[in-house]
Amino acid sequence: MQKVLNREIKELITAYPEVGRVLEEYGIGCAPCSVGSCLLKDVVGIHNLDPQKEATLMYRIEKAIYPDRKISEPVVDMTKKAAPKLITYSPPVKKLVDEHVLIKRLLALIPSIAEFTESSLKVDKNLILGCVDFIRTYADKYHHMKEEDILFKYVDEKAEIIQVMYKDHDIGRGYVRQAVEGAEKNNKTQVKENLLAYRDLLTQHIKKEDEILYPWIDRQLSTTQVGEMFRKCNEADASVGDELPKKYERFIVGLEEKFLQEVTK
Amino acid sequence: MSGCPGSKTIDFSEKTNQEGSETGKRPSQLRQWPIQLHLVSPMAPYFQGKDILLAADCTAFAFGEFHKDYLKGKSIAIACPKLDSDQEVYVEKIKALIDDAKINTLSVMIMQVPCCFGLAQIAKDGAEKASRKIPVKQIVVGLEGNILSEEWI
Ligand SMILES: [Fe+2]
Ligand SMILES: [Fe+2]
Repeated sequence: MQKVLNREIKELITAYPEVGRVLEEYGIGCAPCSVGSCLLKDVVGIHNLDPQKEATLMYRIEKAIYPDRKISEPVVDMTKKAAPKLITYSPPVKKLVDEHVLIKRLLALIPSIAEFTESSLKVDKNLILGCVDFIRTYADKYHHMKEEDILFKYVDEKAEIIQVMYKDHDIGRGYVRQAVEGAEKNNKTQVKENLLAYRDLLTQHIKKEDEILYPWIDRQLSTTQVGEMFRKCNEADASVGDELPKKYERFIVGLEEKFLQEVTK
Repeated sequence: MSGCPGSKTIDFSEKTNQEGSETGKRPSQLRQWPIQLHLVSPMAPYFQGKDILLAADCTAFAFGEFHKDYLKGKSIAIACPKLDSDQEVYVEKIKALIDDAKINTLSVMIMQVPCCFGLAQIAKDGAEKASRKIPVKQIVVGLEGNILSEEWI
């Protein structure tokens, strides 16, 4: 089993799909991950399951890999899906979670924007570049930069999960570049596909951060570090000014008025 | 028995669950004097930029690992929200600690009895009045010395 613990999760799931299903049952969604090079032991550790649940999970994984092996079952069997526990964040991390809300409001509008683009005669360049500006300035400069320059510095940046986050940010920037190119060339399909891809990527990414990564980082922070990080994030916010988040909130409200009303009409 | 839970008589001298070891010395983690909130000055050097523990008087007696787990690395002020007078001064001192001493964080440690939450309220009021913002944490200690909760507020 020790050997299995040190194997990469994607490789394990590919070889033993049942492992992916078992993990899923415990609320560990590694199967759709874009990288999947985390080691099984880290994946389990990062989710902070209670000891009984973790024992049962390991038992079931071992069973899935070695069905013929005699393995003693842990005392209590809790095969039920893990009850969602209430996550509490430290104040600086909570601020980052709150910033996700505005980004998710844009993500929610993307299908309507994609559809609108598809059915228009030509790409509404203003609209697309407006969304791109939101993504580049609010999501990337304002939000992702605090993650990359402040938050991630408090943990081992070489940790697989952090690498996955960096990679997600990068892939996202690539989709945005492609969407801009599509808008410039009036290529409706290119715009649509890249916006939708961005939506899928960021939806997963934010879920991973809110539910797994941020709580994992929070558990490692000392009180002193929480205070220090709070100050650094406030300084970063002050350097761009109060007006920036307000401006982008107004932008989202405007988009919602345009696109959500069309749905409800 | 009715009456105030803060002063209700409870005897748990029969408590047998006493795991833990008595080996090794436990040095004091106190690095300052004075400590009572009326006596301390927010301008004292030991508060500047520090993580502060605002502890209700009873907590240090109730919680066995007070020095090692909570006082270590922090500066402290103690107070009793039930018996102390002039508590408006407390609110002002908390505000001064945040704005003038530029403390890093504030952890308020209280007992689980209802009147003790008054100290958390004092901390919140002081933090709200302050123009700087800092993280504030609340730690609740059970009567038998267990940590009931620890959360950022
Ligand atoms: Fe991120
Ligand atoms: Fe994020």
